[in-house]
Amino acid sequence: MTALLRYQADLLLRSQRWLPPVILYAAFLAVGVQSGQPVLDSLGYTAAALLPVAAWLVRICVTGEPPAARACVAAARGPARAHLACLLTALLAAVLLGVAAVVVVTLVSDPASTGHRVRVPPARALAAGLPAALVCALLGTAVGALTGPPVLRSTGRAVPAMLLGALLAVVASGSPARAAVSGLVGGSHSGRAPVPLLPLAGAALLTAAACAAAAWLTGRRSP
Amino acid sequence: MTSMHQDRELCLTGVGRRYGVRGPWVLRGVDLVVAPGTLVRITGANGSGKSTLLRLLARLDVPSEGRVTGRPRTAYVPERFPSALPFTAVGYLTHLGTLHGLGRKAAARAAHTWLERFGAGPYAGTPMARLSKGGSQKVAVAQALLGDPELLVLDEAWTGLDGPARAELDRAVAERTAAGGAVVFVDHDPRRLAGAADAVHTVADGALRHRTEGAGPVVDGPVVIVVVQGPPDGRLPPEAVRAAVAVAETAPGGHRLTVPSSHSDAVLRALLTARPPWHVVRVEPAGALPPDPGSRP
Repeated sequence: MTALLRYQADLLLRSQRWLPPVILYAAFLAVGVQSGQPVLDSLGYTAAALLPVAAWLVRICVTGEPPAARACVAAARGPARAHLACLLTALLAAVLLGVAAVVVVTLVSDPASTGHRVRVPPARALAAGLPAALVCALLGTAVGALTGPPVLRSTGRAVPAMLLGALLAVVASGSPARAAVSGLVGGSHSGRAPVPLLPLAGAALLTAAACAAAAWLTGRRSP
Repeated sequence: MTSMHQDRELCLTGVGRRYGVRGPWVLRGVDLVVAPGTLVRITGANGSGKSTLLRLLARLDVPSEGRVTGRPRTAYVPERFPSALPFTAVGYLTHLGTLHGLGRKAAARAAHTWLERFGAGPYAGTPMARLSKGGSQKVAVAQALLGDPELLVLDEAWTGLDGPARAELDRAVAERTAAGGAVVFVDHDPRRLAGAADAVHTVADGALRHRTEGAGPVVDGPVVIVVVQGPPDGRLPPEAVRAAVAVAETAPGGHRLTVPSSHSDAVLRALLTARPPWHVVRVEPAGALPPDPGSRP
């Protein structure tokens, strides 16, 4: 799996297709997060925006390889594992991006609750913000896995489905991402920063199931 | 038969494949065993399902019905290889080498070796996007040979290669089978590796017909005569006998092997590395057709 991940990561980096989602994410944060704003509020925003970015990165990874090149890799390692490597590479990229964003946002934000009543130390903010970003990266990966090939093969259906899926994952009640984000935003009012352990477990389970389903389907649907 | 041997033997039992739940069957009722060390040719008209069969053999596709057993380390060469990858030729091959189980250094070494064998050494550092069609086909073939696969699946791999590279691929196939690997191939040229295939199967009407099996190779390609001398009761190495289309004992310990040209290197290697080694008296192009192929032991 290490060789597969290394290959996929190199493919992603060199293809430069990661640039648009990363630039868009940076622009989105630059507009939405002003320095000196309450830290937890800003972290909620940072985490929520990561979800569609993760789904987009998955789409880049699973469509980045020409089918014939994918076949060469799949012959050596098995089609399911080759597909899992794509998904995992995208997840790792999203996590890396999320961690960087959370750290920067924590450093530039005001370490206090909304209305500056309660102080929120940066370490506490990080402890709440990092797992929330992880929840969103995981769920974005799940959305990307279920709305890209081999599940949805035509771009015309896959892209709207991905956008809709990402939106629903952020706003639908019962979604771990919504729970994690509203935990941060709500925490910003009270000054308490909850660590979203339950949403994290839920997101991990959902994403594992989505990735397993997508990997199972590779090799069963036409190339 | 050891369990390792069974693992390397690929076995299709009642295999069918269709695209979509209600799609028409592309293939159905396919029974096929690919044993280690054998060279298998698949023939059939365009669109008959040859490529689908090869994808099932390489385990790229899961059969819609039936069973595929055996897990040989597999390499696959697709019909058309894209060059739209953001790597240099050697960079890509090094990655593929590690996927085939080599360490990074060994993979880079093997990448250079195989590019040079196919006459693509000067393009090692060229970005794949700038390679010609023939150049990228050489990369496609090299990626499959890097890791000494136990099963090599070639879908028209010769198409797009220049003459010397085609002959080199013939030799590489002979080396693979001599080393105990299995090779399954499709090629539009009926003379491709003629006389060397252990079995020829034809895909027609969504089914597999076994045209030749165990009847010994049919000779209609170029052959060479290898004359060797060993101890009076010496036994020829089995790899050499398997590759030969005819073997005749001319004197006590003296043998005359008729070998497909593509397999001459592999046969000579087997003879010279045997314990004790055989003395190669001479190698000559075949003047006439070899004696009755039925004399093969």
